[in-house]
Amino acid sequence: MIINFHLNGKETSIDTDPMRRLLDVLREDYKLISVKESCGEGECGACTVLLNDIPVTSCLINIIQVDGGSVITAEGISETPLGKLITDCYEETNAVQCGFCFPGFLVTSYHYLNNDPDIDEDKIKWSLSGNICRCTGYRKIIDAVQLACHKLGDQEQKHESI
Amino acid sequence: MKSKPRKDGLAKITGKCRFLDDYSSENMLHGYLLYATIDKGTITGISYPRDYDLNEFTIVQTSDIPGQNIVPEPVSDQPFMTGKEVLHFGQVIMGIAHPDLKKLMGFISAIKIKYEEEKAITDVDTCLDNKVYHFGECMHISHKDGAKVDPEHLKHIEEVFYTQHQEQAYLEPQGMLAEYNPKNNTIKITGTMQCPFFVQEAVKTIMGNAVDIVIVETSEGIGGAFGGKEDFPNLLAGITALLAYKACKTVKIKLDRVDDLLITTKRHPSRVAIVSYTDAITGEIKAVNIDYRLDAGAFQTLSPVVLHRGILHAGGGYCLPRCEISGFLHQSNTPPNGAFRGFGAPQAIFAIESHIDNIGRAIGKTPLEMRQINILRINDEMPSGQIVKEDHLNECLSRVLEISDYTNKHKQFERYNQTHKDKKGIGLVVALHGGGYTGNGEKFLQSKVKMRLDKNGEIQIFVANVEMGQGAHTTLAQMVNEELNIPLEKVNVQIPNTGKTPNSGPTVASRTIYIVGTLLQKLAAKIKLELKCDDLMAYIQDHQELFPRDYELSYKPDPNDDFDDKTNQGIAYHDFSWAACVVEIEYDPLQYKAKVKKCWNVLDIGRVINYDIALGQVYGGVTQALGWALTENIYKKGYPRTRGFTDYTLPTAEDMPEMIVKFIHTDSKVAKGLGEIPMDYPAPAVRNALIQATGVIINDLPLTPERIYQEINRSSL
Repeated sequence: MIINFHLNGKETSIDTDPMRRLLDVLREDYKLISVKESCGEGECGACTVLLNDIPVTSCLINIIQVDGGSVITAEGISETPLGKLITDCYEETNAVQCGFCFPGFLVTSYHYLNNDPDIDEDKIKWSLSGNICRCTGYRKIIDAVQLACHKLGDQEQKHESI
Repeated sequence: MKSKPRKDGLAKITGKCRFLDDYSSENMLHGYLLYATIDKGTITGISYPRDYDLNEFTIVQTSDIPGQNIVPEPVSDQPFMTGKEVLHFGQVIMGIAHPDLKKLMGFISAIKIKYEEEKAITDVDTCLDNKVYHFGECMHISHKDGAKVDPEHLKHIEEVFYTQHQEQAYLEPQGMLAEYNPKNNTIKITGTMQCPFFVQEAVKTIMGNAVDIVIVETSEGIGGAFGGKEDFPNLLAGITALLAYKACKTVKIKLDRVDDLLITTKRHPSRVAIVSYTDAITGEIKAVNIDYRLDAGAFQTLSPVVLHRGILHAGGGYCLPRCEISGFLHQSNTPPNGAFRGFGAPQAIFAIESHIDNIGRAIGKTPLEMRQINILRINDEMPSGQIVKEDHLNECLSRVLEISDYTNKHKQFERYNQTHKDKKGIGLVVALHGGGYTGNGEKFLQSKVKMRLDKNGEIQIFVANVEMGQGAHTTLAQMVNEELNIPLEKVNVQIPNTGKTPNSGPTVASRTIYIVGTLLQKLAAKIKLELKCDDLMAYIQDHQELFPRDYELSYKPDPNDDFDDKTNQGIAYHDFSWAACVVEIEYDPLQYKAKVKKCWNVLDIGRVINYDIALGQVYGGVTQALGWALTENIYKKGYPRTRGFTDYTLPTAEDMPEMIVKFIHTDSKVAKGLGEIPMDYPAPAVRNALIQATGVIINDLPLTPERIYQEINRSSL
């Protein structure tokens, strides 16, 4: 079956088994290795991508559900201005450890900051609670998202003053 | 304390860093393990499904092993595969490979194994209470006439503490890739692992004389390990190599999460019985007898080493004038338990820290008084007879009291709990962790490091220690960068490869910075002295003909570090890291649920090289300990077993307390061990806080709502 969708901003189509997991299609057919498989049951968030601008665990999505929609992975996000800003913040706080879960965190925090960049710690924790990290204890990830909120606030202020 | 950016940061955030499953090659086969699904018994038959063509599959069983069917370990008693006798669920029966992963998995699930089942021991309590099932020799420490005292004048308390399995839950599951090259009869392994030289030894053992050369390299990224990738990769690499050899192709095995949870090594469950004699008036502990037992699982493998560290940490951060410590290993029918951050120490610290609070309660002393009276101070003797050379543990304690306002909060919460339905609690603990291998271990390892100075002024570091997330490759480079004054971006640690890197030992035991980093730093100082130059970059530019040049250095133990492996007397660890911690919790009596609100940590890890990376280790270690304390539970009694992250409850961002971390004595010369100590102490702190909140004494982990409910209702009957 032919599936048409937007992937990281570009139109694409693929002829494949409609029940294949989005995770497998992205990794195997599109070689997008930022999408990681860890638990395979939607618990850990390592395979998070944006589907029609909503974060989803791609291990629970069949490729047919993507037909006519848009998918953005960490590869796509890290090319956007906001994605770059978040990446900088993760680097600045030295948040990374093993890094296996981080592309998933990048996608989730992009979604959070793109929609409601509220600096409130509880809101940030709630938004990140679908992504499991075993190394970092989350503290520096939360710090990075808060730092990104500050930077976005500064940008807005500059914008307004112009 | 410079927080330079991690070298691996950007590639990992954006997903460009390659982990094992991101490696593949043309004509690669997917491999997988077929394992026993009973706990104990005998295999009586194997039937393959008829609707598959067997010739399409590469299958390896015990009869295909050209070398020895024994995984090399401190105690080599575990076979790579079994053909007959099953001693635990998950014991590998065969390795199977096929070009198509889906077809492979379909085939494996259709293979039927017939068994004759026998009665097995899978629950920890039976295993640890049943003296018949222990194996291996007892380890013993007797200090100053054992625990002999005149008990009449002293408060005598006997207690037993239990802890359960814990899964490492590295986010990247176990995986291994083996390439066989028939032209030069070589096997190359790439994998997610902590100890490339252990893996090399394992592959050499299973392959025997069938292959000439075995090279092991780690994947670019290692998605967490925490001890879980210390010994299981040996078995996995052996079987993957055998498949590649038989198929004459490249084979990759990546474990599914459910299988990873079911069949790989876990933290050892423990049973620690403590008998203590305390002066009820002064609060001084006069004598202690500790019986420390671990469930090794079906095979011993590295459990004796865990037991060794366990008994040497069993006295905790306390001065015990007379003590006797015994250690036992038990055999059960669960997969062999293995390394996990802390390596026997968290179980020991949980028991002693809980017991100290319990003694205080019995004689009317506060947790703080008990610690202030009995804490290990400078010149005190530890159970191994080792003399404490610094008063840093006491300093950690004073500092944590100061920053947490412990004393006031302890009193406030007592009052609060009398008048409120919801409860609060605060717990105080102290801990220690010996850096590097236990006893004579580092002497035997004889770690060797290598550095290459290139013409362009770049420095390549060759060590066997892996970057598994802990920041080792940034921190090690920083140690060399500071000594030689070469820009950090020009100093790089190479990906460990047994063909290129000298054996600087495994990535375990909080030893990478402490032992290997110190060695690199010494080598850098030696280079500077040898070349007699202050500006190395300029020197290299002026003497291009001398470079590239390699330099090597081997570890030399302190000649005064005597340790007797039989009596366990002497210098058990050249340096100890010290810590004190206060944990504040809120307890909801309707849900029987404890939530950790704040956690204050004061640590002496000596010199801090990269502050952010050090902080990250504390945050991460504490979080794993909170999971162990409150939610993580692998085996229920018998069935059903935990089958994935859905029912193995790991802490999420929402479970995180406010964290306060202070390092003291950061200007020391030595950078001591850090990786494990943050795992050692938080669990008993949570337990001690929960007792203040609930008034109910629980001496085991995990403190799940079900467990708290059970204990509260039992005591009110």
